[in-house]
Formats: sequence, C-alpha cells, structure tokens
Amino acid sequence: MNFPAELKYSKSHEWVKMLSDNSALVGITDFAQSELGDLVFINLPVAGDSITKEESFCDVESVKAVSDVISPLTGVVAEVNEELMDAPQMLNESPYEAWIAKVEDITDTEELMDAAAYEAFIQQ
Amino acid sequence: MSELKRTQLYDLHVAAGATMVDFGGWEMPIKYPTDIVAEHLYTRHFCSLFDVSHMGRILVDGPDAVPFLQHVLSSNVMALDLNQAQYAIIPNENGGAVDDAYLYRFEEDRYLLVVNAANTDKDLAHLNEQIKAYNAKMTVITSDYAAIAVQGPKAKELLQTLSGGEAVTEPVKNALNTLKFEGRTVRVAKTGYTGEPIGYEVYIESAEAAWLWNRLIELGAKPAGLGARDTLRLEAGLPLYGHEMGLAPDGTEIPIFAVSLAKFAVSFSEQKGDFVGRAPLEKQFAAFKRIMSRDFSDLSVLPRRIVPITLLDRGVMRAGMPVYRGDEMIGYVTSGTMVPYYRHEGEGLATVILDEAVNRSIGLAYLSSDVLEDDKVTIDVRGRKLKAVIPPYHMRVDAPPYARPIIYKPDEEEAPLPEGDRTPKALELLRRAEDNHAWRQERCINLIPSEMTPSRAVRLLTMSDPSFRYAEHKKVKSFYDADIFYYQGTKFIDEIEQLLVEEMKAFLGCSEVETRVLSGQMSNTAVFSALMDWKNRLDRKHDMKRLGYVLNNHIIKGGHLSAQPMGALHDYIAIDPVTERHAIVNFPVCKDNIYKIDVEETKKVIDKYRPEFIIFGKSMILHKEPVAAIRQFVDEQKIPTTIMYDMAHVLGLVGDYFQKPFEEGAEIVTGSTHKTFYGPQRGVIGVNYQKDDLKYGLWETIESRAFPGSVSNHHLGTQLGLLMAAYEMNQFKDQYQKAVVENAKYFAKCLKAEGLDVAGDSAIDYTETHQVVVSVGYGTGPEVAERLESNNIILNYQATPDEEGFTASGALRMGVNEMTRFGFEKEDFAKLASIMADCILRGRNVVEDVAKLRAEHRELRYCFNDDQINAAVESFAKRTGM
Repeated sequence: MNFPAELKYSKSHEWVKMLSDNSALVGITDFAQSELGDLVFINLPVAGDSITKEESFCDVESVKAVSDVISPLTGVVAEVNEELMDAPQMLNESPYEAWIAKVEDITDTEELMDAAAYEAFIQQ
Repeated sequence: MSELKRTQLYDLHVAAGATMVDFGGWEMPIKYPTDIVAEHLYTRHFCSLFDVSHMGRILVDGPDAVPFLQHVLSSNVMALDLNQAQYAIIPNENGGAVDDAYLYRFEEDRYLLVVNAANTDKDLAHLNEQIKAYNAKMTVITSDYAAIAVQGPKAKELLQTLSGGEAVTEPVKNALNTLKFEGRTVRVAKTGYTGEPIGYEVYIESAEAAWLWNRLIELGAKPAGLGARDTLRLEAGLPLYGHEMGLAPDGTEIPIFAVSLAKFAVSFSEQKGDFVGRAPLEKQFAAFKRIMSRDFSDLSVLPRRIVPITLLDRGVMRAGMPVYRGDEMIGYVTSGTMVPYYRHEGEGLATVILDEAVNRSIGLAYLSSDVLEDDKVTIDVRGRKLKAVIPPYHMRVDAPPYARPIIYKPDEEEAPLPEGDRTPKALELLRRAEDNHAWRQERCINLIPSEMTPSRAVRLLTMSDPSFRYAEHKKVKSFYDADIFYYQGTKFIDEIEQLLVEEMKAFLGCSEVETRVLSGQMSNTAVFSALMDWKNRLDRKHDMKRLGYVLNNHIIKGGHLSAQPMGALHDYIAIDPVTERHAIVNFPVCKDNIYKIDVEETKKVIDKYRPEFIIFGKSMILHKEPVAAIRQFVDEQKIPTTIMYDMAHVLGLVGDYFQKPFEEGAEIVTGSTHKTFYGPQRGVIGVNYQKDDLKYGLWETIESRAFPGSVSNHHLGTQLGLLMAAYEMNQFKDQYQKAVVENAKYFAKCLKAEGLDVAGDSAIDYTETHQVVVSVGYGTGPEVAERLESNNIILNYQATPDEEGFTASGALRMGVNEMTRFGFEKEDFAKLASIMADCILRGRNVVEDVAKLRAEHRELRYCFNDDQINAAVESFAKRTGM
C-alpha cells in the first residue's frame, strides 16, 4: 500500500495536500479505497459549500454500501473533481490523483498525521 | 456469538485472499481481491465459480415423500420428472414464505431440497413439525456434499472438458444428470442464481470439492463471492429471501404472489390437496389475476408487488429507501445497488459485446400493485428525491450463450409514415427485386434444405390467370359428394385440382389427398384441428377435449416448429392435469446418435403414455423415421393411436430411395411442396383411409378443416403450378431422388475429408436424406453462416440437439436438393466442399470460386426439357405476356 510522504493523513482515512497556507486538495487514502472495495458512485459536494472539520462533506458508494467522507478541514469548497462522477473507479485505481475537492479559505484543520504515523495508525 | 460454520472450500477462499464475512452463520467469501465488479463481469463474459456449499441440503425419502413435499411446497412435485429440478416456495399458513427453495430429483424415489443457509434451522423446525403426519424422512446432508455453482457463457465448455466431451445435461433449464468428471462422480444441475443461460450447480463429495474447484480454475474459471452473487441475481430480477420475500421494510409479511415467480412456483393442482397456505394463496392468485387485468378496485390481498426499478438520476438506491408517486409513498426499494455491464453495439444477431464496462443503478422494489411498467416514480435517496422508472426487466436470457442487460430507454418517437410520389419507390423496388433475383439465381449456391427453385413452366403457370381468382368448393352429400363451387369461371381450376389430387395420390401412394392448404404448417394445423374435432364428434355439448398425449420429436432434437405446442399444436394440445404441463412426450434418441430415434426406448414411452397421436418428421432430419417398427408395435399392443408423418422436408424423397410412408404404416402424411418436392410454396395432406374405414370420417373432417377451416381462397395460381411440378416429380423422381441421396452422402464425406466436423453416423455416410449437418463450434453458427453468405453460399445455422437455442447454434444445416436440381454432380459437391472448408476453416474469400462453380450450373434438371416442351413454354409466356 502506498502513502506518499508529501501528503498528510486523517484518522478517518482522508489525505490532504496543502497547496498553500489556506488551500488544499482532499481525497481518500489507498487504505480507504481498499477497505471500501470497488467504488461505483460519488456524491460530490458543490463548489461554494462551507465544510467543517470532522463532519461529512461527501459520500462514496461501493457495490455493498455507502460511506461518508469526513472533512479534515474547515473551509470552502472551491472546486470539485467532476471527472469522478463518470469514473468513480479512479478513486480505487489512483487514490492520490483522484482528488475530491479543492478547499480554500481554510480556517481550521484537524490533527493530521504524516505518512509514517498514518501507516503505523492503520497497522493498529 | 456462536462459532461460524465453514464450508469444504474455506481454506481455498482464505488462500485466494477472499474477504470473509458472517453470512447466515457461515464464514463466507464476500469477494476476492478481484472485487465484486470484476467478478460480476467475468461471470457474464466467461465463467465464475461460487461456493454454495453453505446452502441447506435436505434429502427427503420414504413412501410418503411426494405427499409430504406436496404439502409443504408451493410447487407441483408430481410434475417433477426424474433428472429434473423445480423452483418452489415453502409457504406458511398465511400465504407468506418461510423460505424459497429448489427441489432436485436425481433419483427416482429421493428428493433433494436445497434451502437458504440462513433459514436452514428455521425451515427444518417448520418441516419437522409438518412431516410428523407422513411416513417420510428428512436427512440433512449439507456437510456430506459440497456445492459449486459454475456460471457463465463458458461454463458448459469447461464442464464438458471434465466430462470428456459427454453432454453435461440436456440443454434446458432445470435438467439434471449424474456423471463422472475425470473419474469422480458428480451430480450436475442446469440451475443457478445468476440468471446466466449457461449455468450449472455441481454437487460433489466433500473430499473431492477442492479438486473440482482447483480444476475449474485451471481451466479458466475464476472464483466469485457473495457480493457478485447478489448483484448478478439482482440484475436477473431473482428474489432474495429477506428482501423480496419474508418481511418487507415496514415489517409486514410479503405475500408469495407479490413475487412474479409465484406464477410458476405455485400450483393448485388437485394432487396437492390442502397444502400449507393453499387457501390464502388461492385468494392471492385471484387478486393477482385481477391486478394483471388492470382491475385495481381491490388491492387488499396484494397491496404491493415486487417490480424492477431503474434510477434515471445519478445516485444509488439501497434496500429500505422509500419510493414515491408524486407525493404518495407507494413502497420501498427491497434490493438496489450499482450493477456493472459491458456495453454493446450493433443490432440483432450482429450485436457485439464491447470490453467497455459501465454501471447502472438498478433494483427491485415492493410497490403499490397499481404501478405499471414505464411509470415514473421518485426514490428518497438519503434526503434527495431521485427520478426512477419501472422497466419491464433488467436483463433477458433468450439469446444464449449470453445474458443480455436491457438498458432502459424511453419509447423513441415513431418514424413518420411514408408519403408523397411513389414512382421513385416503384422504380427502386423493380431494380432491387431484379438484383435480388439475379443474385440468388446466378451467383449464389443455395444449400438451404427447405428451399428450391421450380422450373420455368411451374413459375409461369403460377403467375397465370387462375391466380388472383376464387374457387371455393365443398363436397355436398345430397349430390353424392359432388364438389359444389360457389363462383363462376372455375371449371378450369376444378379440373386442375382433380388432376392434381390424382397425381399426388400416385406420388404419395395413398387413397385421399387435400391440396387446398397453402403451407406445410397449415396442413398440420388442419390435421390437428380435425383430430381434435374427430375426438369430440360424439359429444358436442361440452367444450372440446384437446389432444393428449401426443408423441413428437422435440424441437431441439430437430422436430418441426409446426408440430410443437409453440407452433401449430398450440390450440389443440391438452394440459396434463397431474403435471400441469402440455400433454406432450418426445421420441427418445439414441445415446450414440442424437439424430436418430431410439426405437426400443420409444416403445417404453408409448407403453407408458399410450399417446393418441404420434407425429414423425423433423426439420433437421438425417435418418429415416422408424414408422414401420412403431406401427408394428402399436398394432401388436393394440394401442389406439393415429400415426402421422410430417414430411415437410422430405416430401420430394417419398419413394424407393428414402421412405414410402403409407406402405410403412403411416395414416396421415403432411408436407410442403417446395423443399425437396420442387413445386410452388404450398402444403399437402394425404391419408390412406378407405371409404368403409371408421377413420374415413377423420378424413372428411380434415377436408372441412382445410376448407372452410383454414382457407377460403386457396391461391389458384400456385395450385396450377403445383400440378406441373407433380407431373415433373412423377416423371423424374427415380433419377432425382437417387441423385439427391447419393449427392448428400458424397458431400458429407467430402466435407469430412476437408477437415470439417460432419454430424451423424459415418457408417451410413452421415445421412439418408438431402441434409448434411456440420458442427462449427458452440455459438459460432450465426457468424460462420454470415461469412458464407458474404461469399454467396447460402445456408442456415442450426442449434444441434445439445445446444440451447438458435443464438447458441454451433452447426450449419445444408441440403443438396436445389443444387442437385441445377445439375451438381459428385465432383461439383467435392469442389464445393473444398471451397467451403477454405472459407470456414481458413477464412478465405471464395466469391470467385463460388461464381465460377455456379455459372457452370444454371439449367434445371429433373423436369421437362425437350424442344417440344420448351417451345410450348415460350409460346405460353409470349401469349400471356410474361
């Protein structure tokens, strides 16, 4: 399983790629996609949505179940990855390229882990 | 939590990296690392293995096994023949389902009941209570045998590899067989829960389970888990207990008739007596019939029904989500998810399944019974109201070997009707018809055994004046059976018809002939109608009793469509009250030659069923039919019956080189006059009853079922042409018939020598008729036939007796009759065999070779060809302006 060093990770298995001090890309980790199995649908947020850390901002669906995606940040959705609507399997195939939302005006962030800490976390 | 049970294949699942879950108390694979979507698609595209060893398997035997099963199951167990399986529901006293199940009869006196794993204990508690009143015994054998479902278009091929080529089962749903796979005994059922048209469930001793599983994986199958099993059954629209049966999301019990399968799974046969749930089920059935007739005045007994549902908006529906019609909540989704499918393009048989997979959001829903197909509804998907529709179905399986997803499409706008000046269309029609005629007559080699080109004389006569006229006539007893015509101007055709009758009597060797029927199928319909009328002649105060039992050739064994319940027998065949199926039984075929009737086995069938009507004849016919042997048997056994030979294909072969049906003991012969017989397209009926026979009355009934029963105007032009063809036949039949049969045998041998797989018995050079059958590989018949057509060799693809239907056809059916008429001799058929092998085996373009061979053979033989006749034909053509 792959956990790029340049990303930060949440306990609810999202990754964060900081683009500047107050903007970031958010997606789900390799571990998350592997646990969820084949993803067949994503219910994306809408640009302009205010999102809050530790609250659901999106959901993804596998064949068997629907799962919330928890926001690691508080901020405003600036852009969503529309491509995922037609190709949710990208979340399985390349989880770190398949960003879900670009968040700006970040005012708060939950406590995130680096790659090593996250890898240790999921081994527990 | 109590310890989870494990199947015989548990270790293999774990070793393969499966995700194991608790499923009804069993530790089962939900998916393998390939994951659900890939497993689903691999099943539809190739073949998957499912471990279904967790399902409860209960053997039922003892003197009262059948009465017990009749009492606890919804189905009619008396209808279950040896080596057949049936779907059944275990009803409770309220008409709800305790469970659904499959009942297998691998042995004469023992029944295997397979139930849902999670329900096994509950089912056994219920059944143990019920069995007390019966002298029958249940034995749970779940741990003794493993069960592996082998599902997908390649399933048959894989299993046949293990059986050493032996047919795994008959090619029909629910067929069973016990056989050996590489030395190990297995029981195979053509059943499954994926909707695959080619799917089997294999039972094998526990100790051998891993061997079979691994062997199938070596052959290319892949394991699939319960996740894929669920999406597959959902796409197929199959109910799952706990979702579409049992309790609905609102906690109420779903009545059995809410599930459309109930129509097949529930029997109210008298033999079933007062079975568990009978009274409420009868009420449900009455309500079901009202609802299906769109009488929604009283929905109290069946307020809701299980229907397919498709999401039109983006999203995923899940079980339990409420469904609305406008603001009214009308029910719930019972199963729903995203289901993958391979996209397809092209139409009809040219449909190509692409590698590109996409998803669709489909489900089953328990909705108000007044919801109709195509109704638009909304589903509350976690707060969002998404648009959905009720499609007719999600998938169809009537074009094997593939299950075909049916993607919901709103009705397209109909194309506008044609209008404007038709002159260009008329010119176009003439041009295209001329091209078509030239193509078929000058460039094509036609091997369709049911087709023929008639002589120029026959064709000219067919178009001349009595065509377009009417000549209805009927024998009148008051005039000593003289034929009375209703219209004037008919003296000529009256005489022609009498001459034709006499020529056909001479040809067939019988006492009476009816020539007014317009086709072979109509001949059969008239005979079946007459037989039924004759059966009821002494009691006209009741509904007529239909025919039964009838012994015929099964359609998949080459039987005529027109002698099947789906064909001309439809309105005349009885339903057996015990089995609730058509009172039809089929000729058994030889184990080592499925094209040939097994006479000794047939005698046993006749002894058991005492058929009142026996129909010989096939459309895929390589052998003589054993008319004489069966005639002798029924006479010796004093079995009252009527023997008919439907000679549609082989009418032109009646004689010394094939069969003389009436000499062998047939009473009735029907046929079409344009296959091996070289007349215009019509039918004919001959009988051999004498005036003082009791059954002469049957003959008179046949005449009245021809006219006015089947035709008013009997198409006088082709009748006139047929008289010329009958003259030609009676004049030239000895040379023609000898040439046809010899050419067919020689052609078959040449095809074999060229490396093609010729069907039939090599000891008789494969055929005794005009037909030759070549196997080209399962499911590839349509493609090969199309390739030959593009090379101007016209024939038809055909399902062999061990294939599922025309789309799965692996054979080509050919007849040498028309090309023999065009003068093909042995060396020509040798050339043709070589050309065909080039095209079939090596994909070579053979258009030029075909054109050359055809150009050498343009003149018809076995008809009048001398100068005197030719001059008369030309004079006729000139004077009549044709």
